[in-house]
Amino acid sequence: MIAFWVLGAIVIVSAVWTITARKPVYSVVALLANFAALAVLYVTLSAEFLAVMQIIVYSGAILVLFVFVIALLSSGVAPFSAGPNRLKGILVPAVVVVLAALGFLIYATAGVTAVAPGSVHTTSSVGPVGSAGVFGSVADFGKALFTVQLLPFEITALILMVAVIGVVLLAGDRVPYVPTRKRAAEVERSMREAILRGGE
Amino acid sequence: MPVAIGNYIALSAVMFFLGVAGVLLRRNPLVTLMSIELMFNAANLLFMAFARAWLANAGQVFAFLVITVAAAEAAIGLAIVVTTFRDEKNVDVDEIRLMRG
Amino acid sequence: MTGIHHVMGVDGSYPLLVALWLLPLAGAIACWVLGPQLKTAAGWLAGAVVAASFVLATLSWGAGTQNVAGALGAHQALLSWIPGFDFGLLLDPLSLLWTFVITGVGFLILFYSMGYMEGDRAYARFFAYMSFFVFAMLTLVLSDNFVGLLIGWGLVGLASYFLIGFWFDRPTAVAAARKAFVMNVVGDVAIMFAIFAIVTKLHSTAFGDVFASAGAFGPKLLFVICIALFIGAAAKSAQIPLHTWLPDAMEGPTPVSALIHAATMVTAGVYLIARCAPLWSASHDAALLAGTIGGLTAIAGAILGCVQWDIKRILAYSTMSQIGYMIMGVGVGAYEGGVAHFFTHAFFKAQLFLASGLIIHALANEQDVRKMGGLRKKMPLAFWAILTGVLSICGIPGFSGFFSKDRIIFGTLQHGHPWLYAVGIVTAGLTAYYMFRLLFITFLGRYRGDVDPAELGMRPQPTVTADAAHAAHRTPAWIMGLPVAILMVPTVAIGAALMFGGEDSPWARYFAPQFGAQTLPAPGISEGMTSLIVLLFVIAGFAIAWWRYAAKAAQADAVARLRSESVRMPAVLTNLFYFDAVIDLIFVRTSQLFGTLFERVLDPHVIDGAVREVTLVTRAAGAFVQAAESGLVRAYALILALGAACFIVYYAFAAGGLH
Repeated sequence: MIAFWVLGAIVIVSAVWTITARKPVYSVVALLANFAALAVLYVTLSAEFLAVMQIIVYSGAILVLFVFVIALLSSGVAPFSAGPNRLKGILVPAVVVVLAALGFLIYATAGVTAVAPGSVHTTSSVGPVGSAGVFGSVADFGKALFTVQLLPFEITALILMVAVIGVVLLAGDRVPYVPTRKRAAEVERSMREAILRGGE
Repeated sequence: MPVAIGNYIALSAVMFFLGVAGVLLRRNPLVTLMSIELMFNAANLLFMAFARAWLANAGQVFAFLVITVAAAEAAIGLAIVVTTFRDEKNVDVDEIRLMRG
Repeated sequence: MTGIHHVMGVDGSYPLLVALWLLPLAGAIACWVLGPQLKTAAGWLAGAVVAASFVLATLSWGAGTQNVAGALGAHQALLSWIPGFDFGLLLDPLSLLWTFVITGVGFLILFYSMGYMEGDRAYARFFAYMSFFVFAMLTLVLSDNFVGLLIGWGLVGLASYFLIGFWFDRPTAVAAARKAFVMNVVGDVAIMFAIFAIVTKLHSTAFGDVFASAGAFGPKLLFVICIALFIGAAAKSAQIPLHTWLPDAMEGPTPVSALIHAATMVTAGVYLIARCAPLWSASHDAALLAGTIGGLTAIAGAILGCVQWDIKRILAYSTMSQIGYMIMGVGVGAYEGGVAHFFTHAFFKAQLFLASGLIIHALANEQDVRKMGGLRKKMPLAFWAILTGVLSICGIPGFSGFFSKDRIIFGTLQHGHPWLYAVGIVTAGLTAYYMFRLLFITFLGRYRGDVDPAELGMRPQPTVTADAAHAAHRTPAWIMGLPVAILMVPTVAIGAALMFGGEDSPWARYFAPQFGAQTLPAPGISEGMTSLIVLLFVIAGFAIAWWRYAAKAAQADAVARLRSESVRMPAVLTNLFYFDAVIDLIFVRTSQLFGTLFERVLDPHVIDGAVREVTLVTRAAGAFVQAAESGLVRAYALILALGAACFIVYYAFAAGGLH
């Protein structure tokens, strides 16, 4: 119980620091704290596997990617240079919209109880960690992933492949295209020259 | 589960809207992407909370898939940021205004 | 409202009738299409077609006058679709009479035109138009319903437009044709509204239905319908105030004036009123109005005829005046008299026009009587023709005009209109004056063709060809002379032949089943006494004309007298009672004003302005929306967030929310 409040506080504070830090590196660090707190929160929610996944993928891969890009785009520590603020007037509307949405959302969900709707079927029960059939265990998770939810899993794999191809296309080096026949002729010419030269 | 579900909903909502504020108010593209990650995680938290409340591991599976997709999206987003701002003087989202008018 | 539909005439199949009706149309189409190939044969073709129609009409005498159990005449259905709105042909005594005149006099005039129009560039086109006119007029008189009559009415107006503006390279002719057509359209519209009123009440346009239930209209509606029909009749028959087109219509060739504007088309109004006799008999107010307008036109036409110098215009105003007589007659209820005058007038007026055409042709298109004179010896046929015509139109006892005109004048007294009686008598005197004036100035004295126009009081004119003086010797071709000679016979004698004997005359017996017997109180002045009074006025008119134009003293200084008369004519008469000026002011000027208003103000500012406003508004809206397309990602993100917030607010309150 108390874990929730503490972790919740960490989550919120780190989130605020993420969006307000001067330097992007500080934002990355704050985000890391956020993810860590979330991972612990997942553990309290009996989702151990997911907690570990969160740490590995999010803080271990994605945040590292962010750090690489920050390094690529600047000297890293110095603040990024920015142009003039062309949308000065966005502060007030943004704050109003955010607060309004937030307020009404909480107002709307104030009395929600944890009664499962008929379409959701309970798959397992709570128990000690490690045993199959226990909610949150690797075995239980894996079974669901590879049987009932197989299609989303496969599609996600496809998405990942597309992402990889996309990143390579977007950010990869551009090699000028040379027609194969022309290249072959060129190669042959250079080879002949080398042989002739080598014969001297 | 000792904590009422409403608390999780509130926490998730706050985190989500902090992410929205970050997208709206920051001009650094990297901070924008990080705010988007915040939003993803807020949704994930909600998935997990309800999965626990209803003891349905479909929620966990989907949270997992969200993490995966978020990773792919972050990668592509960063690739776009890199190619866009590689030769720019200012790393500022407001400088990219080709769609104006 | 479905009811019993009355059909006028004995229903059956009368193929002769259909052939009679369509032959002139075939002739017209042939002349139109094959004009260049036919050349002079077009005249023979048109004449043959109309003559054939005349022959068929005579062959249909029996069918036309048959009287089977109250159904008078022959009825041929043409197109049946809704009972009451069927189209068909009706040949009863009234339409048979008109058909005889149209085809008979029409044939003679066509024969005459073969000589008159000889050498004209558009010879075949003329005969196509004339043949088309005959067809249109037959449609008008042979229809058995109001809509068919209106169709014929409009076609006749069209033919008149074609023929008045036949020489279309003359701007005066074109303007006259347009004026005639526009004024006739006023009449067409009025008849259309009358038909609307009839259909609203009776759901039928057939003559039989309408006349059978004439009483069902109610006095006010009946009056309105009669007025509307009368406006149409007034436009077509050149009654005041829609008469101004008739004198200008003399721009057309003389045969056209003879056929259309004397004998047939202008009498369509008379036909209409005679046909709708049951309606007019039922509405006393309408009869009074029709009679009054007819009388007014008669006397006004006569007054204006006294001051004209163009031979055709004198005859045009004479026509207007005589048709005023006819309208007066059929308007007050003297149907037989009015129709009789139409019959006799067709002959003598056609003859007068054709004879004047002989003169015009011989004098190389000189139409002003001041430049004529002394033609008695040079053109004897024309002289005798016009003399007989003048005697007939004046109503000299024994000649045909006498019988019909006196019938009308007496009829007005019989039906209780003493003022119209007086008008008729005075007009008779005026008629005598101006017709004899025409005769004397044209034929007596010395030929004035070589006199300087200014000496005669004429305005400067383009010079007539030098051999005009010699042209008077040229005898007209026999083609032109023969119809004139033939027409002299009915001009003189047909009245005596048909109408002598009053109630027992062949004429009365012919029309007895058509118009029904009318019992009228015997008026104070008897018919014989009426004839005597008329004769006195006629002799007075003759005497004044003799004294002014024919006496030895008058002929001695004819040129000076003509000049002084031309110069001293009062403006109100030279301007034709200002009718043209008033119409121009009221209708033409206001139309032009409207046109200018639209051109200067409404079109550029209102209509174009509206279009411009639309473009301006669109552009402003576009600019307004364009402001939102800033290209800034954050701005778009804000709008997204706003949309999401709206959804949340909605759900908070309306849909899934807990309230």
